[in-house]
Amino acid sequence: MSRTETAPNPASRSALIVLVAALALIAGLLAAVFLYAPKSVAIESGTLLQTPRPLPAFTLTDENGAPLTPEQLRGQWTLIFPGFTYCPDVCPTTLGLLKTVEAALGERAERLQVLLLSVDPERDTPETMKRYVQYFSPRFKGATAAEPELRRVAQALGVAYVRVPGETAGSYTMDHSAALVLIDPDAAIAGYFMPPLRVDALVADLGRLLDSRS
Amino acid sequence: MRWPAFSAALLALPACAGAEPLSAENAWIREAPPGAPVMAGYLRLHNHSGQPIRCSRASGADFGAIELHRTLLEGGTSRMLRDQTVEVPAGGSAELGPGGYHLMLLGPQRPLAAGDTVRVTLHCDGHDLAVDFTVRSAP
Repeated sequence: MSRTETAPNPASRSALIVLVAALALIAGLLAAVFLYAPKSVAIESGTLLQTPRPLPAFTLTDENGAPLTPEQLRGQWTLIFPGFTYCPDVCPTTLGLLKTVEAALGERAERLQVLLLSVDPERDTPETMKRYVQYFSPRFKGATAAEPELRRVAQALGVAYVRVPGETAGSYTMDHSAALVLIDPDAAIAGYFMPPLRVDALVADLGRLLDSRS
Repeated sequence: MRWPAFSAALLALPACAGAEPLSAENAWIREAPPGAPVMAGYLRLHNHSGQPIRCSRASGADFGAIELHRTLLEGGTSRMLRDQTVEVPAGGSAELGPGGYHLMLLGPQRPLAAGDTVRVTLHCDGHDLAVDFTVRSAP
């Protein structure tokens, strides 16, 4: 009885063709997303960005006095910990924890680099940073830059810091972001690990990330 | 000869009227990287008296200066607060531990390695509590 069943008009036929084509396109896109997107990894102790954010060009000075640029962060994962060596409580606690994490990851830790980003370039010379980070692990690195470069790098990393004056000129302290910044092997910000940091959660999360992509 | 001894006993009376009101437990200093200009000391304080006792100062010959600090994690930022006071409640205890209240030990006067013992005196509401801290390499 229905006219549309027996004799579809040309207009509705072309609409059908458009619909089928659209569905095919969507199916194709979905397939591409599943086939070509990096394996999706969820982490418990932090947040991964939906799209990693590439780092801008910058030059820090590392613990050997050598330049450190984003290019050198390629090909491995990097955990950046903002801190400073004139910090007796939270900085050694965090670096001690990361040393335990490094040991627990075993061989996989070879593809992970821990970098102390000193927010105190006035007191943290390369020698000071080297002595400090290598006390925890010979593989840990330290880097900083003079202002205003440090401010620019920190902003790109999402790291905030502020100098708090002390009783004397040399006894100031630094308040700073407590999150660890995760850099992926393309030198892009992949996410953040938020305190309170726990060894077991970090080992599980970093283990999954290192397994997903080296 | 009896009189001086008696006056010495009188002078000592306030300090030993009853048991010591304050005691320390698990006092330790985190071993620092060589040459580190600052270290942190931690302990648990017990108050055996019926009054709260407040501690805000400490001293020790092995450091240039000692301050009472508190690390505070606030809005994703790690902050260090100076000039802190720890109140040990009557009949209770207070903890100075990593990521919270700590003794900020500035300018170690000698190298301090794991296993060493360092004496620090806490000054708390008129009570002086001498505590031997053990240097340890990890929590």
